[in-house]
Amino acid sequence: MERSEIAQRVTKVVARVLAIDPAEVLPASNFVFDLGADSMKSIELIAGFEEEFSIEMDEDRAREVQTVDGAVDFIAQLVQ
Amino acid sequence: MSVSQSQIERLTAQGCTAQDWSTVVLDATTDLSRIQRTHFLGTVRVGSTAGDATVDGVSLPCGIYDATLADCSVGANVRIARIGSAIARYDIGDGAVIQDVAAMTAEAGATFGAGTEVETVNEAGGRVVRLYPTLSAQTAYLQAFRRHSAGLHRTFARLIDAEVNGARRERGTVEAHARILHCGKLCNVNVGPHAVLRGVALLAHGTILSAAEHPTLVGEGVQARNFVIAEGATVTGGALLEKVYIGQASKVGKQFSAENSIFFANAELFHGEAVAVFGGPYAVTHHKGTLLIAAGLSFYNAGSGTNMSNHMYKLGPVHQGLFERGTKTGSFAYVLHETHVGAFSVIIGKHYTNINTPDLPFSYIHESESGSEIVPGMNLLSVGLVRDGEKWPKRDGRRAPVRRDLISFGIFTPYAVEKMRAGRAVLQRLQDTTPKDKAVVHYGGVAIKRLLFKNCGKYYAQGVTRYLTGRVLDRIEATRASSWPAVQEALRASAVLRDPLVWTDVGGLLLPVERLRAVEADIESGTLKSVAEVDQRFAAIAAAYEQDEWEYVCAAFAQEYGAAPHALTRDRALEILAAYETAANGLHAKVADDSRKEFDAFAHVSFGLGMTDEERMADFTAVRGSVDTNAVVQKLRQEQDALVGRLAHLRELLAKF
Repeated sequence: MERSEIAQRVTKVVARVLAIDPAEVLPASNFVFDLGADSMKSIELIAGFEEEFSIEMDEDRAREVQTVDGAVDFIAQLVQ
Repeated sequence: MSVSQSQIERLTAQGCTAQDWSTVVLDATTDLSRIQRTHFLGTVRVGSTAGDATVDGVSLPCGIYDATLADCSVGANVRIARIGSAIARYDIGDGAVIQDVAAMTAEAGATFGAGTEVETVNEAGGRVVRLYPTLSAQTAYLQAFRRHSAGLHRTFARLIDAEVNGARRERGTVEAHARILHCGKLCNVNVGPHAVLRGVALLAHGTILSAAEHPTLVGEGVQARNFVIAEGATVTGGALLEKVYIGQASKVGKQFSAENSIFFANAELFHGEAVAVFGGPYAVTHHKGTLLIAAGLSFYNAGSGTNMSNHMYKLGPVHQGLFERGTKTGSFAYVLHETHVGAFSVIIGKHYTNINTPDLPFSYIHESESGSEIVPGMNLLSVGLVRDGEKWPKRDGRRAPVRRDLISFGIFTPYAVEKMRAGRAVLQRLQDTTPKDKAVVHYGGVAIKRLLFKNCGKYYAQGVTRYLTGRVLDRIEATRASSWPAVQEALRASAVLRDPLVWTDVGGLLLPVERLRAVEADIESGTLKSVAEVDQRFAAIAAAYEQDEWEYVCAAFAQEYGAAPHALTRDRALEILAAYETAANGLHAKVADDSRKEFDAFAHVSFGLGMTDEERMADFTAVRGSVDTNAVVQKLRQEQDALVGRLAHLRELLAKF
């Protein structure tokens, strides 16, 4: 899967789970500080990514991801 | 012996008078110079008046000064001074001090608070707990929550009648070394040994239990009517109590008011208000504007402004709430009864729906735009839960020789683990039946996001796996068997219980339901003949906790892994070890992650006013410490190291067979 497609789908999931405008979801956006994702939302985000990409994520490692770009990289490794 | 004529003359010269000197009896060693300006009514016996008593840091002579005593007995080396009206119908123990008290009277036939009907949980009645001096959390629970059987209720009520009647006395008691200083009116109040009453405004119809090992303090401005206060409790700061039980080592003060409420051991109650509350052990409310009403709770912590609603303006204030052990309500949480919140859950925000989530323990229930939402199992990942689990046993402040309430500590118990198994099943069912185009489903009055089913179910699964495999591995580690068959034998359950999977929480004591039912059957049949015997039975059940827990582990393990622990092969044991490692590491990592968040950039908000970033960091570290210095974080690291060591040891152990 192309990185650009992953990024587009990550943006979609983030916007849906956090109930924000997709335009607000930028590659450098920090999930906590910029997008307001608390620990409860982070569980939803991980589940949303897993469902969107039909992947299993190591939750402990996934929780270390802090930015949208980081999520794209993390997912890219799993969908290869 | 009755006073002699020369003694009467001496006492009269010292301003003493008597209704009838022939009913005044002095000990042979009584120093007459220490009885001054005292009026005797009825039969009064006075012991030795030797020695001094310290009052407000000043050493003052024992004896009786400026007092009226009516039908009293006064023990040895007592100081009684400046009594407003009279001390009437009291037996005063050796070494007691009673000074500057407006009045202290007891009426013939008084029960001293025993028999007080406390309308717990349901403000309109129906879950009445009758007070008596030896009340325990367990016998109170039987009264309040086991109303399903009229026969049981009737029989148990007769046992309580006996306690109430046994408390009935013709005179009140101030036991040895009690100190009652600068108080207002006391009427029909028994005071236990070494108790300290200091500046109390009013006490009526009550019993203050106390012990030399743990004196009870009732302090300034307290007004209490129809009450029992247990050993080691501190009730002060203008607390207002009416129809209330305060448990051992509890702390009440700062204008807290309570009515029709009972709180067992180690409660901390300040500022707020409680009405119709059944507070098991460790009920804590510290802040103003907090109303706890019509609720059963234990190991509970109320945030400021917590508010419960039980009225609905239909049939009256009849609605009730049950907050299973370990529940917390955040600041300004509002809960609408009926409510049943699962164990160790956290409630944040205002909830206008009836929450009914007993099978989703360790949850966060929060307010959202669409109403009330739940994140099941979220609290399993919280460092706060770990901290709570460690602090409760450490904060058991009871020092009296008798501990009245039986308390099961620990967070991961058969009770909580079985709830997690139920929660996992609920989430699995929801996952299986919810279409993917549905973002949210409702369960127990609250919304759950579909995306949470899988991971939250995983948290429960990890909790269950860690507990069950961990307990089995504990046993394997503890056996010194030299062969695998001998290990298997050590893992065999005793099979005393018919249904070891079903547990309940009886006023803070966790036990298999069938044991509770056996107690109830023995009450109803008359086998248990007194409340003391019922308490002894509960104590025996508490003593069997480890055995019952192992039966639970064996039964649940068999369901989870298809075979009981004693049927484990060595290879299967290695698989169990691997499952334990994954679950324990997984949960531990999440808790450790949560603890580190306490030091991340968000935690620095509001620190370092007018400082550079570097100074701000230094300001934060000076006040809050760092991940390298914080005790909790360090302890979690040590636990992780210990886990690694334990896993290595277990691998080594299993390799021997």
